[in-house]
Amino acid sequence: MNGRFRQSRRDVLKLTAYGAAGALLGPAVARAAPKSLTMMHESSFIPPYDAYFKNDLAKAYEKATGIKVNYEVVSVGSLLTRVTTAAENSTGADLTAIGFNWAFLFDDKFVDVTDIAAEIGKESGGWYETAQEAVVVNGKWKAIPFGNIGQLMNWRTDWFKQAGYEKFPDTWDELLEAGVKLKKAGHPFGFELGHGFGDNHGWLYPLLWSYGAREVEADGKTIVIDSDETARAVDFCRRFFKETMFEDVLGWTDVNNNKAFLSEQISCTNNAESILWAAKKDFPEMAKVIDQSENPKGPKGRFHMLNPLCHSIFTHTEDKQAAKDFLRWLMAPKQCGAWLDIAVSYYQPFLHAYDDAPFWKVEPRNLPYRDALKTSHLPGWPAPLSRAQSESVAKYVVVDMFAKACAGKSTKEVIADANTQLKQIYRAS
Amino acid sequence: MTAPSLAPALTHRRPAFSFGRWLERGGVFSWLMVLPPVAFLAALVGYPFFYGIWLSLQDRPVAKAGVFVGLANYIGAWHDPVFWQVVVNTFVYTAVATLLKMVGGLGLALVMNQDFRFKNLTRALLLLPFIVPTVLSTVAWQWILDPAFSVVNWVLVASGLINSPGPSWLGNPYLAMASLIVVNTWRGLPFYAITLLAGLQTISPELYEAATIDGAGTWQRFRYVTLPLLMPVIFIVTMFSVIFTFADFQLIYVLTHGGPANATHVFATYAFDIAMVGGQFGQGAAVALTMVPPLALIILAMAIYMRAPKT
Repeated sequence: MNGRFRQSRRDVLKLTAYGAAGALLGPAVARAAPKSLTMMHESSFIPPYDAYFKNDLAKAYEKATGIKVNYEVVSVGSLLTRVTTAAENSTGADLTAIGFNWAFLFDDKFVDVTDIAAEIGKESGGWYETAQEAVVVNGKWKAIPFGNIGQLMNWRTDWFKQAGYEKFPDTWDELLEAGVKLKKAGHPFGFELGHGFGDNHGWLYPLLWSYGAREVEADGKTIVIDSDETARAVDFCRRFFKETMFEDVLGWTDVNNNKAFLSEQISCTNNAESILWAAKKDFPEMAKVIDQSENPKGPKGRFHMLNPLCHSIFTHTEDKQAAKDFLRWLMAPKQCGAWLDIAVSYYQPFLHAYDDAPFWKVEPRNLPYRDALKTSHLPGWPAPLSRAQSESVAKYVVVDMFAKACAGKSTKEVIADANTQLKQIYRAS
Repeated sequence: MTAPSLAPALTHRRPAFSFGRWLERGGVFSWLMVLPPVAFLAALVGYPFFYGIWLSLQDRPVAKAGVFVGLANYIGAWHDPVFWQVVVNTFVYTAVATLLKMVGGLGLALVMNQDFRFKNLTRALLLLPFIVPTVLSTVAWQWILDPAFSVVNWVLVASGLINSPGPSWLGNPYLAMASLIVVNTWRGLPFYAITLLAGLQTISPELYEAATIDGAGTWQRFRYVTLPLLMPVIFIVTMFSVIFTFADFQLIYVLTHGGPANATHVFATYAFDIAMVGGQFGQGAAVALTMVPPLALIILAMAIYMRAPKT
């Protein structure tokens, strides 16, 4: 009995030892893998886009160079967490898709790609200036812009027509007027005012800017949210909400407006091209009466949200030149054009060579997304890229300023709240 | 004892050290067995915890080196109006949801303790909300709480009680908090019910018989027999529930992400947004760690209760 017991104890110890050894050996074995590159990407709303990389682009590159390219898809909304993990631990994928101001946030962890950016620009008609707003950090390109996932007005042409509108209203005031009529006719508007990731910022920042207001001056220090312009934008938003929408939009996240639009509850929202895309697939009849337009103008112009998809190379990658060569190859017209084609302008390219690309003719209703590129900016504009910019977005300062006003708080109060928050955020950074 | 039997023992003792024998020693072996869990705890709980404290004392942006700033992040949180809203939200959410789960769970456990047809099947079904992954069940709730698709709104409107489209469950700040509490209660109720049911079944039927003979009615049997004997279980299950609810993340993150206008932000969601979305690890850690003192007090209370001599 005792002997057997001892045996089993030893087995336990042995197993533990093997387990520990295995755990130590695991990464070592993986490191010795054949030469390959891994690119991390958020799962695309357009499934063929991901498939094209895996089945065509990666294979073509392997055939040409012998380097295997792995395409690691991460679920929607978790890319930032994954990029953070990879950057913090200096391990994982060699290249990654990025968004917003991440080129700045991960500045130290991304390879300088200024040289290939210049080559690509020269080869493909030059870069849109707006693209540089997101990727140039201290004069260095830290990412290669691929395309913008623009946020524009999605609206129902049939219902607008019934209300007397052949074209999409050109100004916010005219849109309000149309919305009042449409809501009375049982077709309210639905613009996200809750804590989603994109569809809220997508129209609220442009609205703020179009009234001549901003969070912070171009110096990145002077907080100017407490202004008459902001007050006018907030007052407009409150009316716009009360007279054209319904309470639920205050709690919406990014899925809700798509759902509401496709179930015919709302006649207008601000969104990427996904609504038209989904309608064409699942509700072809409805798709015929959907159109997309640039955001309306305010007293100080027309603005849009810059929502760029770019590619960066991690500094921890073993062979930086190999990663650069791959990115350079990927952005050459043959590859890049084909990849953009597959997504039919869901990603609006930042290179002028594609301004009249065939995919714009496939669905001309997407053209406003191209035209909006020139007036697109990141949240926090016109201040330069900063950590404060991220923090303000993470804390929903601008979104909540508008949302609280819509829920009943006074304009003065909500601006004072935003002012307090922004002062704290911008002072700390 | 005879000499021959001693001899082998002596020769055995000769090799001064035998690894096998050393392992056999109670002191050594018990420590060896304890070591893996201790190492496990140190690595997966201790290290992150102390690293978190260290982070909270730094200005530590993502992917950059940190700078020691002392308590600046805590002071920053103190002056952040949203932080105080988060504190209130977390306490309301935890207190109301825990109370509902306690009362509801006890009720369910009492019902399940009765004899009826399909008792075992019902008990198994009871566990469903607890078994279904939170993210999945939360998506179902997303539909239930969307006025346009909500079965609740449909019933209310169809029965003529309210006008279409009915209440906005997640758009109204008070209803949003109430809805989240209901969903949390729905998910946590089975844990309570099953644990309390286990407690109920340990109560000897003789006690009830004795009470009945003494003339105790149903309420008195519950009040003077069931409740006192169930108290230790209720206490422990409540502590666990408070801890889980206090640190809840998934449900709120999926349903409202802290909206509308921070009306449902709690410690975990706010800290995550600051650290992961805002890239401010130091600040995020400070917000998350402010959860620790109240939770520590609760755990302390639990420990004291469990160590108290039972009379």
